[in-house]
Amino acid sequence: MSPDAQDRFGDSTPAQQRFLSLFLRSEREIFRYVAALVPNVTDAEDIVQQTALALWEKFDAYDPAQPFTPWACRFALNKARQWIERRQRWQALLDHGLAEELAQRRQELQPEFEQRLRHLEACLEKLPPQQRSLVQGYYYERTDVESLAARSGRSVAATYKMLQRVRQALQLCVEHRLSPEQA
Amino acid sequence: MKLSFPSPEFDDAVAAVCHGSTTEVEMRALNELLRHDSRARDEYLLRVELHARLASEPDLFADFADVAVSRQCAAIFPQESMRRSAKTPLRNQDSGWRTPMVWSLALAACLVLTVWSVWSFWFQRPAPRTGTTSKAVAMLTRVVGARWASSAGPLRAGGALEPGWLRLESGLAEVAFYSGARVVMEGPTELRLVSPSEAVCPVGRLLAEVPPPARGFRVKTDHLEVVDVGTAFGLVAARGRTEVHVFNGEVRLHSAGAAEQSLSEGQAVAVAGGVGPRLMAARAAAFTSLFEFRQRSLASEAFRYEHWQFASAQLNEDPSLVLRLDFDSRGGTDWTLRNTAEGSRSVPEATIVGCQRVEGRWREKPALEFQSVNDRVRLAVPGEFEALTLAAWVRLSGLDREFNSLFMCDGFQPRTIHWLIRRDGVLGLTVFGADPGQFQILASPPVLTADQFGTWLHLAVVLNGPVREVVHYVNGEPVSGETLELHSPFRLGPTELGNWNAGGSLKPGPHLIRNLSGALDEFVLFRRALTDAEIRALYTTGKPQPDP
Repeated sequence: MSPDAQDRFGDSTPAQQRFLSLFLRSEREIFRYVAALVPNVTDAEDIVQQTALALWEKFDAYDPAQPFTPWACRFALNKARQWIERRQRWQALLDHGLAEELAQRRQELQPEFEQRLRHLEACLEKLPPQQRSLVQGYYYERTDVESLAARSGRSVAATYKMLQRVRQALQLCVEHRLSPEQA
Repeated sequence: MKLSFPSPEFDDAVAAVCHGSTTEVEMRALNELLRHDSRARDEYLLRVELHARLASEPDLFADFADVAVSRQCAAIFPQESMRRSAKTPLRNQDSGWRTPMVWSLALAACLVLTVWSVWSFWFQRPAPRTGTTSKAVAMLTRVVGARWASSAGPLRAGGALEPGWLRLESGLAEVAFYSGARVVMEGPTELRLVSPSEAVCPVGRLLAEVPPPARGFRVKTDHLEVVDVGTAFGLVAARGRTEVHVFNGEVRLHSAGAAEQSLSEGQAVAVAGGVGPRLMAARAAAFTSLFEFRQRSLASEAFRYEHWQFASAQLNEDPSLVLRLDFDSRGGTDWTLRNTAEGSRSVPEATIVGCQRVEGRWREKPALEFQSVNDRVRLAVPGEFEALTLAAWVRLSGLDREFNSLFMCDGFQPRTIHWLIRRDGVLGLTVFGADPGQFQILASPPVLTADQFGTWLHLAVVLNGPVREVVHYVNGEPVSGETLELHSPFRLGPTELGNWNAGGSLKPGPHLIRNLSGALDEFVLFRRALTDAEIRALYTTGKPQPDP
């Protein structure tokens, strides 16, 4: 048996525990990094999962003196690229270097996003109950839009439209809260 | 199509991207716009960021999560018929029972009567189906690009496999036999599953890994029978020829007309036609794709296991966690299980009676198998509770009994509960009231079916005293929601997992045998009602395989 094949039997290293604690701390940020390229939630989660595996396999190469998240995001960008390559629609969106440009610009805008979105929770609480339950159903409970539509008696298209409006309202709200502070 | 910014079309396109419903034409138009208009690009990034935060920050919703549960259940079961059939009136004893004269007599009779009435009550509803037992001998654990011959039924990762043919036309698949042996194969391969420790492979290429408990695992081809007494071998079978390569440990070969032959690490044989076995050196290179696939399986599985362990450490610190048995943390002796809930030292170690340790959701993780009528885990949970959440990872071998116990408090003590599965796949929680003989059964529709036997299921039930509701869950999804008509607080006291102690004064009868036939891999008990999202998170972090 080749020593190479021999190595493949029986692994499990103590470093994995360390990896996991790092990864789970960065997971949300990695997700948002990926979502800037592929905003659809289930697709982005899929890419994050694949990124996690890739990171784990390469964890030996990680230098603990460096921050973990940027290191992980480089892998995420690669995984997202591979994922996009196999999907024509997403390729159409991210073609001609837009993927790299979006990732880059997002990093630059990060401090501004932090400031704007810190009022998101307060704005969520101010939503009318019906809208709040829709956002919660979609983002928190991860109920599919078909069920959400059935639950509220709206059509699927109307439910998507309402989700869009609620996000718009939230964006207006966070920006409104921002302005008096800046003045 | 051309998009401008700002415009309602831009708004719609961004929203559609977030929902994953954009067309390719829209995508292309958006690409064009975002590359040339930096204001549009920044606005796009902000909107997507807001969307991504909503999706990735559950804390944002922490304040109003509790409200959602009742609303959601009402929405899931709008049909009045289902509600009606699931809802059960309270059974109160005749008031005459409470007069002092007959009080002592009543107490004595009460137990027997309760047994009978609970029993008969359960069967007022759908006629009992005959018990079914799984014939599954293995589980399909992982597939990559697998194409199966049409004769095979739908095959999905995590699904149980009964004896019979697996015909893999192309791609890779891993099968975990219940003996513990694992086989990865590459199409085209035909494999007939015979038993948890035996398979037939007339054509194909496979790699078998046989851990010590599965020693004796055998694979037959047209030319010979391979019995593994070590750890790993590869097999290439064609109609006219069979090759066996040993990578680890030792195998024994039986072929027609030849003496038994032993083959050790690094050796291989080829048997063709009438020619006897020809010895050669084992070649790992011939199995590269299988080794790689296996390595990926291991990595993915170990990753999930580690992830679960990490999540478990956090779960153990939840102050509302009363009891958590991971079936891995032993207590003072081999036959006790430690409660790993950090904040709950009042619950003593659980005691294993009978039972077998078997492989759990992951290969390094033990589970406990319940098979005989005596197998059980005994425990005692002191205290009174306004609400309770119970959840377990269960692999059912079958539903052999009328009632198959998950978690049952001894006897029929006031304010206690019985959590069980009825023979026809109904999940039930019997809640006993403050008065003797008073109880309510809160049952789901029949949700467990024979094709789920042999696979790991996450079952949970939430008993919410203040909101007066009971919700059953299967694999993270609510399957029923009913109004509770009894008042909290609830108690547990002496209790059994996987069995039931009816209490001394009862004559044995078939309705008193309630042992579980299957394995438990994790059990948790909280002193509060978990939300739908929390139950789903328990399922997601604990499920053995990622979704295919």
